[in-house]
Amino acid sequence: MDRDIASVSRTRGVEEVYDSAVRAPLLVTELANLWNYRALIRLLVVRDVLVRYKRSLLGVWWTLLNPLLTMTVMWIVFSHLFRFAVGVSGVPYVVYLLAGVILIIFFQQGTETVASSIVFNTPVLSKVYVPAEIFAVSAGVAAAINLLLSAIPLLIFQLVLGVGIPWTILLVPLPILALLALCVGLGLAVASIAVRFHDVLEFNRVILILIGYMTPVFYPIAIVPHAFQVVIKLNPVYYDLVLFRNLIYGDSLSSWQTWLAAVGSGVIALAIGLAVFARNWRTAAAMI
Amino acid sequence: MARAPVIEAFDVSVAYRLARNRTTSMQEFAIRLLKRQIHYEDLWALRNVSFELLHGSVLGVIGANGAGKSTLMKVAARVLPPTAGRIIVRGHVAPMIELGAGFHPDMTGYENLLLYGTILGNDPRDLRRDAEAIADWAELREFLDVPVRSYSSGMVTRLGFAIATWADPDLLVVDEVLAVGDERFQERSRKRMQDLMSKGAAVLLVSHAMATVRELAQTVLWLDHGHAVMLGNPDEVVDAYLAAQHATGSEASLGRSA
Repeated sequence: MDRDIASVSRTRGVEEVYDSAVRAPLLVTELANLWNYRALIRLLVVRDVLVRYKRSLLGVWWTLLNPLLTMTVMWIVFSHLFRFAVGVSGVPYVVYLLAGVILIIFFQQGTETVASSIVFNTPVLSKVYVPAEIFAVSAGVAAAINLLLSAIPLLIFQLVLGVGIPWTILLVPLPILALLALCVGLGLAVASIAVRFHDVLEFNRVILILIGYMTPVFYPIAIVPHAFQVVIKLNPVYYDLVLFRNLIYGDSLSSWQTWLAAVGSGVIALAIGLAVFARNWRTAAAMI
Repeated sequence: MARAPVIEAFDVSVAYRLARNRTTSMQEFAIRLLKRQIHYEDLWALRNVSFELLHGSVLGVIGANGAGKSTLMKVAARVLPPTAGRIIVRGHVAPMIELGAGFHPDMTGYENLLLYGTILGNDPRDLRRDAEAIADWAELREFLDVPVRSYSSGMVTRLGFAIATWADPDLLVVDEVLAVGDERFQERSRKRMQDLMSKGAAVLLVSHAMATVRELAQTVLWLDHGHAVMLGNPDEVVDAYLAAQHATGSEASLGRSA
């Protein structure tokens, strides 16, 4: 009746040694962690993508429906009520709009879930040794997978409306990765404050909505007065969106300056986010 | 046979930087910052603590609340790096602090087993293979597909214990775990720990139950306000600790099972 657990040989193999005096460079530690905990990342991503809607009627289909509904509302409001003479070069407004909506949802959802994944998992993270960044990266990757799923309706629209699917779509993962880096970096920076002050998560939500309006999702940048265009061009998400649209339906490679701004902002945000997080997180979490 | 110790701690010190008026909202913090009402003070939770823990042995840690026992566990579990000093931990650590704290109530027992086991550093494939054996030990086999929110606290503890001890850890960091659950579970978990120790696992045992400490530990560390008051033979340290408790006339309940 009292059977014992069969003893197992751990797959890790090498005996691990933790020495508090040995500090590897941040970049080395982070990359090693990502590799060593890849099984955990996979598990967390699958859970995040599938379990998010576990108790809902439509399940994973929400991932597809959510941007479509947002897009439909915006389409009715801006195309019919306000009668925007949207001068988007040669592309139906629906395609322009949907591409913007799914990318901005990725940015907002990604940044928010990266930050909240750290905050909500503090009970485990303050008792078990596991690199907290693993939870952040997993949340970001799950948001990126939701983006890929919600790109399917966009591609259908492109085919039905005669826009077609250009070969440049093969490069679409690049701006997505740049934006993922931005999400993880920003989310980690927010998380390192939010562990101490929970209202920062609410504040962050407002900021994300603001950034959404500062991004040409439903309007073309050309209709914005010149003075305000400068403000929009300070927003890194703008460059990711330009690249995303040009590659997924525009059949254009964009300028190198756009690439530089998109990739550069992602890398810088990720580096700053990781550094700030590494400095603040342990001490803040230890007090909980 | 001379294996290096599982833990070597050299003058480990941990300081918490505490704001005297703790705030949990950014808004309040900002207002106080403007009014210059934020004062910091460094609280030393551990001060120059040194010890060694060998394979197959138990180090008991005793002391009043706030003596630094939890901080020491967090340092040994690698969650908290020491502010000063150095600690070396060799091998796989099974932290058994608030067992089940990492469970998600909405997920089933099986999903939690998989996730928590992987967080502890195990391969999910091994966990899937052995899930039923783990559940059998926890006597929860028929509850594996039930969300953890409907588990009793005893069931949560059993599952947490079974997962944490499954992969033959080299170090168990134990916080009163033997004091929870029914008698049957206490006896079985103790037997499981002794099995692991016979294979070379070391135990860092934090407890208020002096009888347990006397019985299990080979060495006892007495902490007071972060300082190591005494380190040595269990009976001597526990007796000295209890005598000091009587002298100050505080909490007689500390020696409840002595």
